[in-house]
Amino acid sequence: MSELTKKTDEDVIEKPLPPNWILQHPMYQHLMNLDVGDSAQVHAAFLVYLDLAEVRQWKEVSGVGCSELRLVLLEGREKEGEPTQTVLPLPVHRGLSHRSVRSVLARGSPMLLCVVASDSSLVYQRMCDGLLTPDPPVGIQDQGRRQHRKRRQQH
Amino acid sequence: MPTAVKPHRIRSCSHTQGSTRAHPHWNCTQMDSPEQKITKTVSRVDASKESMANSRQVIGINFCGPTPLMWRADDLKSVRELGIIGTLVGSLARQPRQNTRLGRPLELLPEEGRLLADMGRAAVIPDSTNEDPEVNPEQVEQYHAGLENSFQEQGALALEDRKATLMRVMTKKHNENSGSQEDSDGAVRDRLEALAHGFSFPRPAMAVQLCTARAGLSHCPEVRRFLAADWPIPRDERSETRFRVFRDLRRQGFYLTSAGKFGGDYLVYPGDPLRFHAYFIVVCISMDESMPLCDVLAIARLGSNVKKTVLLCSSGGSQEDDGEEVVYTSLQWSGMV
Repeated sequence: MSELTKKTDEDVIEKPLPPNWILQHPMYQHLMNLDVGDSAQVHAAFLVYLDLAEVRQWKEVSGVGCSELRLVLLEGREKEGEPTQTVLPLPVHRGLSHRSVRSVLARGSPMLLCVVASDSSLVYQRMCDGLLTPDPPVGIQDQGRRQHRKRRQQH
Repeated sequence: MPTAVKPHRIRSCSHTQGSTRAHPHWNCTQMDSPEQKITKTVSRVDASKESMANSRQVIGINFCGPTPLMWRADDLKSVRELGIIGTLVGSLARQPRQNTRLGRPLELLPEEGRLLADMGRAAVIPDSTNEDPEVNPEQVEQYHAGLENSFQEQGALALEDRKATLMRVMTKKHNENSGSQEDSDGAVRDRLEALAHGFSFPRPAMAVQLCTARAGLSHCPEVRRFLAADWPIPRDERSETRFRVFRDLRRQGFYLTSAGKFGGDYLVYPGDPLRFHAYFIVVCISMDESMPLCDVLAIARLGSNVKKTVLLCSSGGSQEDDGEEVVYTSLQWSGMV
């Protein structure tokens, strides 16, 4: 956070943020008050919230508690009018069980796992139910008999 | 007793069954030695008749430790028709020092073997090396006598070969030099005599024929059916999960091979692996097993890079055999940079 205090009149004087600004953030406090996840998971959730809301400009980002998993989840829309997606934020050192994944999938909305590293980098991973056929590789074409002609010439 | 095989100059071997690795031309069901480019095209009608004949045949499986292996070419064809792919792990007799084309035996995944056993199609061939060699001294003697015979025959054939080569070379030289006829005849005679005296066929050069379609259990279908009940593989939770996932995907019509190269359990193909790219990398886990997140991200990333979807698979039910569901979760590229 770069906060410079200028001593000239015309410049806006910005107060330096307190070191514990996160703790005072209303969203953070809301997530804590959900009283489900531990502080590490809530912290991770908050960082994901900031990324979604401020950086990616998602709409209606909110935090919900999942008592079954004892975790905080985030919900939001990527754009106005799009369906809500569920984001599962986790600190990187945690493990994840398939059962937890199925729980979140069972909520019905498209699911994103977001892994938060200790340096605050975020990686999103989409998960869905069932067998999703991948996109085909590009540049596939029938070689015809070219390979055979090559081998015949060797003998 | 099999006829001796000419060493060094083997051209046609219609009696040896080559590798059954199917040729990329889909119509072929049999392929001769790799050096010959002759492939037999079988019409679809013949192929289906053949598969009907094979359809109730019991497949013999030999165990090497815990690994199921298959040796008979007919068996390999049958299991391929059942959607069991396996891996060829044997060395080709005439192309030993390479890894591109391998021959029999076909190594099966434990799940493939177990599926065959469950279908009642497989029989475990008992390990004959456990038998006391003292019990069949005559068979051993017979075998050694056969080997010796073969060695003598091969030696004679090799000498004939050398003589023929010598004749050809000398005739060519004579034609080039156009010396007198008597001189060249004399020279040829001398050379042939020298060859006959000095020639010795070395033991290591001898070709030894291994009969994979051997007499004994493979010719007694009743006994094989009887043995089909026993499957000697220990079952733990992980093997159980793997097997249920294998069986379920097979039921859905997919073809599966092992996925060691991709860090997963299976590669899943929508059809025969020789014709299609794999769609999925399967990772079998239990429902409650805790996956390190780094591993999840790593394998998902790998999947994206190779254009395959990573599937997390768990067996959802309890210990009952049927009625439990396999659940699949696909890891998809998020597109969020």
